[in-house]
Amino acid sequence: MNRAPTAVQRWRRFAVLLVIVLLINFPIILMGLNSLQTTQQLMASRSLWPEMPTLANYFYLSERTNFWRFLTNSMIVSGGATLFGLVAASFAGYALSRYRGRFLTGFSRSLFVVQMFPIILALIPLFILFRNLGLINNPLSVIIVYTVVHLPFATWMARAFFDTIPRELEEAALVDGCSRFGAFIRIVLPLSGPGLAAIAIFSFLFSYNEFFVANVFLKDESTMTLPVGITMFMQQYSTDWGSLMAAATVTVIPTFILFLGIQKYITYGAVSGGVKG
Amino acid sequence: MTTAQNVLPRAAGSWRESARAWIRSGGALPFLLLAPSVILMLTVIAYPIVTGFYYSFTDGSLLKFGRFIGLDNYTELLVSRDFHRAVVFSLVFAAANVAGCYLLGLGLALLMNQEVPGRAFFRVALLLPWIVPSIVSIVSWRWMMADDRALFNQIIGFFGGSPIFFLSDEHWATVAVIVIKIWRSFPFMMLSLLAALQGIDRTLYEAAEIDGATRWQAFRHVTMPQIANISIVLGLLMTIWSVNDFDTPWLLTQGGPANATENLVLLAYRYTFGRNDVGLGSATSFVTLIILMGLVVVMLRRQKGADR
Repeated sequence: MNRAPTAVQRWRRFAVLLVIVLLINFPIILMGLNSLQTTQQLMASRSLWPEMPTLANYFYLSERTNFWRFLTNSMIVSGGATLFGLVAASFAGYALSRYRGRFLTGFSRSLFVVQMFPIILALIPLFILFRNLGLINNPLSVIIVYTVVHLPFATWMARAFFDTIPRELEEAALVDGCSRFGAFIRIVLPLSGPGLAAIAIFSFLFSYNEFFVANVFLKDESTMTLPVGITMFMQQYSTDWGSLMAAATVTVIPTFILFLGIQKYITYGAVSGGVKG
Repeated sequence: MTTAQNVLPRAAGSWRESARAWIRSGGALPFLLLAPSVILMLTVIAYPIVTGFYYSFTDGSLLKFGRFIGLDNYTELLVSRDFHRAVVFSLVFAAANVAGCYLLGLGLALLMNQEVPGRAFFRVALLLPWIVPSIVSIVSWRWMMADDRALFNQIIGFFGGSPIFFLSDEHWATVAVIVIKIWRSFPFMMLSLLAALQGIDRTLYEAAEIDGATRWQAFRHVTMPQIANISIVLGLLMTIWSVNDFDTPWLLTQGGPANATENLVLLAYRYTFGRNDVGLGSATSFVTLIILMGLVVVMLRRQKGADR
């Protein structure tokens, strides 16, 4: 079975995979096509291919709904969670990469607990706590929870990146009179630029996509993120499939762009970190 | 200088001095580095566990603290039909999702592990269902099964069947939620299995070939044992994530029709934020945690048994 496959075999595999990819992504493709038809057109013809493509849904979305507000909120929440997460995860990842000890083992284990934790259990007491602190409808509440939810993944990824940086570099800096923390900030961090960028994009992507936590804490329409805001479309404009499809299509574009930037790092966190520990 | 301070500590009581020396010598650094994470985890995980545990023994609402009522919430749960149904649905949902994801993920991973033109493109394209926001995937799937003239029903009609009301029939709604969940989560399985397949030593296959093994035998006796461990870990992770899933059932059916697709998380959510019963909601989420821990212990034990 190690014989090199013939060209025919390779292209047959290509054709099979192409059909599978199209079938699997059909719901997403269909959504994009549907967004180019008005709700009346959709309801009347139910055709898969838009016969008279129109951008009417997108204009409606931009001018008559809270879409831009939702998008801005999403950016604030995701940006905040990314910033918090990047600091916490790179510090913790560095500690896990360079030090050993009982405290670190305990910390490592608690990351696993966070990974499997039913978030609903945290949301109930946190809802009461945040309400008393006036943090409901405040992006900070969601940012804090996101940071923790993504901490295990981000920390394991950071640790995997720091593991690839030779210790000799820091030791040289120490000899030159640098403090250990200084060596971390001035030598290790700049060298892990691509890794940190990947972690940042991951945290951003997770936060941007998240629905459950945002749905609990962001109740007021002016504070909702995109995923929660879109559910408002489903209720308010229950039959307006055109706008719904357009909103969903625009929502997915940043996700795709960010994902393309990090797709080759995915195995880092998912497999080398999350699974191997 | 620092060593001199360490060797000759000042008189007892100047702990501040020694703490400062500890920080200056770098011994405190690992703890300081972990501090932000630890503080965040204490706030978002540890505090809710302790408080939630207490809430589960009270009859409070979201607006006022309740009285201590002992085990009443737990006994109410144990006799509640909603709870029984939620436990069964959570387990069925998790089992079906893990099995479906594994079959689909392993099949595609084996396909992707071969030489094929444009592999990098396929890898990215097959991951899309996983990275699309939950709301987006539910909107797109909903359209295909929304009513009697939706795409799926047009196809069924083409073959002469009568339309299926996917979202208002209890059995079909269950099937729909499971299928969409598999669609949303198989790419993670595929990606991880593909990484595992690529890590298998090629010489093992050469040896099998020399021994005259067929393709199936090579798969059964070389590939499967090599990916057995990671399969168990992946199955475990996916089980946990399925039991904890809120988005798929909530956005598709809100737990309906007639609570047929309500899992434990949705039930806890409904008790807390729908019925304003914090005690019962907390008790339900604690039972969820206990069930998850039970599953983890059972599966890790089986893994140990398999290793022997």
